[in-house]
Amino acid sequence: MATRNRTLIFRKYRDALKSVRIPTSSSSSSQQPLSSASTSSSTRDGRGGGPVIELVSTSLLNPNRSYAPLSTEDPGNSSKGALTVGLPPAWVDISEDIAANVQRARTKMAELAKAHAKALMPSFGDGKEDQRTIEGLTHEITGLIKKSEKKLQRLSAGGPTEDSNIRKNVQRSLATDLQNLSMELRKKQSTYLKRLRQQKEGQDGVDLEMNLNGNRSRIDDEDGLDDMAFSDLQMARVKKTEAFTAEREREIQQVVESVNELAQIMKDLSVLVIDQGTIVDRIDYNVQNVATTVEEGLKQLQKAERSQKQGGMVMCATVLVIMCFIMLVLLILKEILF
Amino acid sequence: MVVVSAARDYINRMLQDISGMKVLILDSQTVSIVSVAYSQSELLQKEVFLVEMVDTISKSKESATHLKAVCFLRPTSENIQFLRRQLANPRFGEYHLFFSNMLKDTQIHLLADSDDQEVVQQVQEFYADFVALDPYHFSLNVPSNHMYMLPAVIDPSGLQHLCDRVVDGIAALFLALKRRPAIRYQRTSDVAKRIAHESAKLMYQKESGLFDFRRGELSPLLLIIDRRDDPVTPLLNQWTYQAMVHELIGIQDNKVDLRGIAKASKDQQEVVLSSEQDAFFKLNMHENFGDIGMNIKRMVDDFQQVAKSNQNIQTIEDMAKFVENYPEYRKMHGNVSKHVTLVTEMSKLVEERKLMLVSQTEQELACNGGQVAAFEAVTNLLYNESVSDIDRLRLVMLYALRYEKESPVQLMQLFNKLSSRTAKYKPGLVQFLLKQAGVDKRTGDLFGNRDFLNIARNMARGLKGVENVYTQHQPLLFQTMENIIKGRLRDVDYPFVGNHFQQGRPQDVIIFIVGGTTYEESRSVALQNAVHTGVRFTLGGSVVLNSKRFIRDLEEAQRIAKSSTNVV
Repeated sequence: MATRNRTLIFRKYRDALKSVRIPTSSSSSSQQPLSSASTSSSTRDGRGGGPVIELVSTSLLNPNRSYAPLSTEDPGNSSKGALTVGLPPAWVDISEDIAANVQRARTKMAELAKAHAKALMPSFGDGKEDQRTIEGLTHEITGLIKKSEKKLQRLSAGGPTEDSNIRKNVQRSLATDLQNLSMELRKKQSTYLKRLRQQKEGQDGVDLEMNLNGNRSRIDDEDGLDDMAFSDLQMARVKKTEAFTAEREREIQQVVESVNELAQIMKDLSVLVIDQGTIVDRIDYNVQNVATTVEEGLKQLQKAERSQKQGGMVMCATVLVIMCFIMLVLLILKEILF
Repeated sequence: MVVVSAARDYINRMLQDISGMKVLILDSQTVSIVSVAYSQSELLQKEVFLVEMVDTISKSKESATHLKAVCFLRPTSENIQFLRRQLANPRFGEYHLFFSNMLKDTQIHLLADSDDQEVVQQVQEFYADFVALDPYHFSLNVPSNHMYMLPAVIDPSGLQHLCDRVVDGIAALFLALKRRPAIRYQRTSDVAKRIAHESAKLMYQKESGLFDFRRGELSPLLLIIDRRDDPVTPLLNQWTYQAMVHELIGIQDNKVDLRGIAKASKDQQEVVLSSEQDAFFKLNMHENFGDIGMNIKRMVDDFQQVAKSNQNIQTIEDMAKFVENYPEYRKMHGNVSKHVTLVTEMSKLVEERKLMLVSQTEQELACNGGQVAAFEAVTNLLYNESVSDIDRLRLVMLYALRYEKESPVQLMQLFNKLSSRTAKYKPGLVQFLLKQAGVDKRTGDLFGNRDFLNIARNMARGLKGVENVYTQHQPLLFQTMENIIKGRLRDVDYPFVGNHFQQGRPQDVIIFIVGGTTYEESRSVALQNAVHTGVRFTLGGSVVLNSKRFIRDLEEAQRIAKSSTNVV
């Protein structure tokens, strides 16, 4: 894959032309009062950028602050042009938050996978602590996803501005990440539960068998005597199975809850996420769409303007003004003639 | 030598080294180049959150200096002007300029002149100057394609434009593949000769440093031929999936526009038919219509199975499984409805225009059959009311191309019948076609009736019978490819440029058809490549033709030729 770099020639021409041109004096740019809190290392180049950011005071007063571009100088280049990268608007903070959440959720997923593996290993203990860690991790991850999802909704803006396109695209990419994350979580959960159930069933099967045999032997023994009253052993057994069913019910409840939550999230996200391979995934389609919506907006505005101009109001107003003038003229005539 | 991956590699390299939020600025040509190779979701992954066209960036006053602009443009003077205006009042923080072809020094000078705010960080040439439609098929989307039919004296600047664009595209392709080819061209075509010589001058003299790659293996072969050597292929009706969709509906940059069709549902107004992204399409793009029908039915049945099992949600596990599989399900649903819509629409058109009947006669005309039977068949179809105008025109053109010399009287009769039946198309168009691509102008043996060997082969084929009457036609390109493989491409007909003769047989061959390729020919190339004969073919053209486009080019050229003779 051949490429050719023309940057050197370009820079050479640029420097040569700069020295030929009359240097624009940097002092002619309007000086704006530097706030005392401004960063000391910032200097100005010939561009005369906007006011330097006033740090702490403004940010506390305005939650919707918008940053003016700050010109900083690359410490390496002293005489050459400054690298100016302006500070981004406020909503980028939200998107960075969400990205950080996604990252955190990913690390927690790795931990969750380890916890799952540990819980599935046969152990002597009760396994309750493992369960608790798993539950805790799952809750945390689901919480992170939900929080990120709520923040994502905040990103969408009204109005067909330039900015809104960028926001929409940022939304889409974060939505794809979130959806992948929630799908991964679902898969991990379902495989863990499946394996857990297999294990439990193995135990249960043995237990049930024992119970069955036990019952049969009991009934053989005590058939005539007390069919109504339950013996102590049977009570204990019944309690045990009750405990099992209660626990199973809780687990199922958990699964249902998490399925519901994630289903909700998936539904919301799937509206935002691009289906790969469809027309919406084509760059030229998106570029054209932007162009047509902006054009449509312009047309609507023009139509509105025209209808306003032709509106009855304007007619009435002009008629009244003309009438006023006529009356004035008549009045003057009356004065003159009499 | 896969052209799609070459384009993707370039775009990847453009975006990978620049961190932070980016804007991608394209022009009307590069937007096609990028759209066929890269998807919007992949751009989002690379943090490109906005795509704009270069002619509208200066209109908006919003400044977004936290974004870095990556401009990928063709080095035309208009683009340089737009860039100058933008650099004088930059909207973005940094500008990284990538051009799809070689810049002239004056253009660099102009850009450097307007960059007084020093926002340009790099200026590079990344040679992705072609639209990579399929792995072995590319196009250049030249707007003024019809120029190739006119001699240079009529519109020298227009023809120069076309030749420049073609030479640029060819040069970019070889730079992307890092090879320098030996060039052969079709002797009888002036425009092919001109393009061949200009390419050779560029690659071996003007920019020989840039093209000086190590000559480890054998040089590839670049063969430049003229569309008019095979005017039959674009005129025929097609019955294999990709070619048929292009012929009946129209594919542009791997997109199909179904908005003219009233029945299409809202999300199927425009669909994407790309072999890279659609596995079903990749398997079926070269299959004929009957087989596609069966495969689509199978796909619909599979999908209905999945849908039914999705409706049958009883346990919580089923619910969980449904939520898990929902994206896959949605994608499958979209794909199935896309193909079903396309095939339904095509069946409707086939029924309306009686294409089965028309196509049978077309194939007879193109492949074999006697003159008398052909004349009768064409006459009958001309009188048939349900045959559309363009189909009548095509039939007469095919007959004229085949039996040009055999019976001029009957040809005149056909012309008269044509002009009495269709208001839109005049026989003058057919005569123009004959003047451009008649039997005296053609090099190749289009109908297999020049060479004794070919006649024998044809007779043998006629006796054996064909599998499918509708797909019996082989484009002339197929014979050309066979000749190249066997090393039998005659020097007299296809001379070399300069003294870069080739010893032995080439392993990589790029065939460029000036005037446009067709999907039937790209199918031929794909099938040939699948056979693994040790030679890999890549096909390119100035546009991708179907019969409508070819006839429109003829009409344009005829109009210009007529107006210029009036002036003279």
